[in-house]
Amino acid sequence: MTALLPLIPILPLGGFVLTGLLGRRYPDDAHRIAVWAVVASWVVASIVAVMALLHASPFGTGGAGITLWTWIPANGFANGFNASMGLFVDPLTACLLIVVTTIGMLVHVYSIGYMAHDPGRWRFFAYLNLFMFSMLTLVLADNFLLVFAGWELVGLCSYLLIGFWYPRRSAAVAAKKAFLVNRVGDMGFALGIMAIWTQLGTLNMQAVFARFGSVPHEWQIAIALLIFCGAVGKSAQFPLHVWLPDAMEGPTPVSALIHAATMVNAGVYLVARCNPIFGAAPEVMVVVAAIGIFTAILAASIAFTQTDIKRVLAYSTLSQLGYMFASLGVGAWTAAIFHLMSHGFFKGLLFLDSGSVIHSVDGEQDMRKMGGLARKIPITYATMLVGSIAIAGVPPLAGFFSKDEILGRAFKNGFLWVWAIGFVVAGMTAFYMFRLMGMTFWGPSHVDPEVEHHIHESPRSMTGPLVLLAIPAALLGLAIGFPPETGLLHQWLAPVFASTIAASGHTEAAYNFFGIDGALAIGTTALVAVAIVLAWRFFGVEIPALGLRAQPRPDQVRALSARQGLSLLYKGSFNKWWFDDINNKLFVEWGGRVAAAAFWFDRTIVDGTVNGIGTVTAGAGMRLRRVQTGRVQNYALGIALGLIVMAAGYLYLAVR
Amino acid sequence: MSSSLDSYLVLSGLLFSIGTFGFLARRNAISMLMSIELMLNAVNLTIIAFGAFEQPLHVHASVIALIVIAVAAAEATVGLAIVIAIYRNKKTPLVDEYDSMSE
Repeated sequence: MTALLPLIPILPLGGFVLTGLLGRRYPDDAHRIAVWAVVASWVVASIVAVMALLHASPFGTGGAGITLWTWIPANGFANGFNASMGLFVDPLTACLLIVVTTIGMLVHVYSIGYMAHDPGRWRFFAYLNLFMFSMLTLVLADNFLLVFAGWELVGLCSYLLIGFWYPRRSAAVAAKKAFLVNRVGDMGFALGIMAIWTQLGTLNMQAVFARFGSVPHEWQIAIALLIFCGAVGKSAQFPLHVWLPDAMEGPTPVSALIHAATMVNAGVYLVARCNPIFGAAPEVMVVVAAIGIFTAILAASIAFTQTDIKRVLAYSTLSQLGYMFASLGVGAWTAAIFHLMSHGFFKGLLFLDSGSVIHSVDGEQDMRKMGGLARKIPITYATMLVGSIAIAGVPPLAGFFSKDEILGRAFKNGFLWVWAIGFVVAGMTAFYMFRLMGMTFWGPSHVDPEVEHHIHESPRSMTGPLVLLAIPAALLGLAIGFPPETGLLHQWLAPVFASTIAASGHTEAAYNFFGIDGALAIGTTALVAVAIVLAWRFFGVEIPALGLRAQPRPDQVRALSARQGLSLLYKGSFNKWWFDDINNKLFVEWGGRVAAAAFWFDRTIVDGTVNGIGTVTAGAGMRLRRVQTGRVQNYALGIALGLIVMAAGYLYLAVR
Repeated sequence: MSSSLDSYLVLSGLLFSIGTFGFLARRNAISMLMSIELMLNAVNLTIIAFGAFEQPLHVHASVIALIVIAVAAAEATVGLAIVIAIYRNKKTPLVDEYDSMSE
């Protein structure tokens, strides 16, 4: 069974190689190999994942792996540094496998239609396949070094795909920004891996987790913090969140796959995977929770006022990732993975929907130039409505269960402040999602008249994945998260987190429908309902089947955003709380000055010294070469004079 | 034969100086080789003079002088061969025109 594991990443790798080599020659069929490679990988991954989730042999509850070969032999380095090329699957990996391969496959299919007219589509599919390979390597790796390799590879793919339309300057700049910001986090992760090696002398994850208790506590804290640093970069948490919204410059399928459903989840996965490390450092858990919940409310507040449809979704992704980290921080490990899965599906769906919308209105991304699209692109509209309801947290869709579980756990584990902020964010999420729906699909049309008459529903290769993604977005919660805290997912993941939870001292009290849990759920749902109704009041709604109809009130929105006190908040939100400006000032401008000074120092002092030595030597040589006349008598004269000097010296010494 | 060592040393010193001057001042390669012979023989004369006046050096001096004569013969052979070879190339015995190694 474990012999199947290498197939999962190797299939997309083969697809990447073939598409990359042959794609240019067969541009019209470029997608075929790539799509089938991912479908095949999905089949294998599904088999493996189901076996692992059912705790079937050989995976059992602890997981099972396979060592392919010795990557770095122990005799290569003086300190015995070694690593093996090994893959490992346990229920946690299986959850990620399902999310990555399923959404990856649907995004590949969707891209057939979305990228149909792009001349570089072979390149696109090659990159997508490379990304699938990298992400699956990251997820399946059994040691930290291989995780890091996958970690960097997904970063590379993200860079390549954000900058896919590289002739557009903003895309090239966004790609560079994403890459650079990620480096900051990756640096921390790399240091964390080095710290693990120095403390434990192994990088194999299971071995590290088993022996982590023997590490001195300061080192436990340092390692956890450094690993979390990597997660902050990859999952775009405050203060490294600035790259993700700009990453929306890439093609929309990329935003759906990489920047919503898979790569940005890598940080969450890493922290969840390292739960024994974080469990041993409760101080860091608080940091994780604080950064997560702060990012959640920060991003949600920015999503309020953005007008680019993809940027709203990007900030929403940040916010939801913040939820996941908050969940990890309060010790609700399973709830975080639950939210990761449900968010992967509904945010992947929402992004693909937004791509379909953009496709239908001829590349327009500004929501102020949309409106009234509901009747013209019904499938996109219906699926996006499902996604919005799911993320807003309306029962019984997926988002409700996962979010409710996070909030409930935060409350019950004693993190009241996390709960309180998360509660507010839940309402904000519902509001900005229905603002997006209202501006895009409902109310009067603001579409450019020239574009207006050829608005069309997307081809079937695009709507198909939308429908297929809408199903898990709607039903995943009921399927694996119900009844809350004892659902299928909890049974699957229980062995992964059991020892950490036991050590943390949080009691896993039974979920109480008619007690605190029920009350919290009802409270959240009520807030969500209020937020949705508010959004409807401001931005309009039109669902004839439910008899809902309201015109948008842009005058009210304007009046409210201009009101004293609120206008500052509005401006802050609209300008993303000036983070880009701060970074620009701090790193681009001031950092640039430091760099210029360093450049000057290098040029004049360092290079000057080296060049000076060279010039002096060359000049001395030019002058001294005249001594060598090539005439034998000159040399003879030298010898004779030397002899006379020596003789005179000898005589002088002898006489004295 | 003079009974004074000094007169021999003065003579050989004169011979050596003449040889040195000839080597440095003459431009003809053959003359330079002859000057070298002069210097070698001046040295030989010194050695022999010391051998004749200092009893302990008697045998050693003769041996060293013989060796010097042998080396001088070999040196003259090689030197002359080189000079002839260069002469064939350059068509001149004047050493200051042998300057192809400068510049």
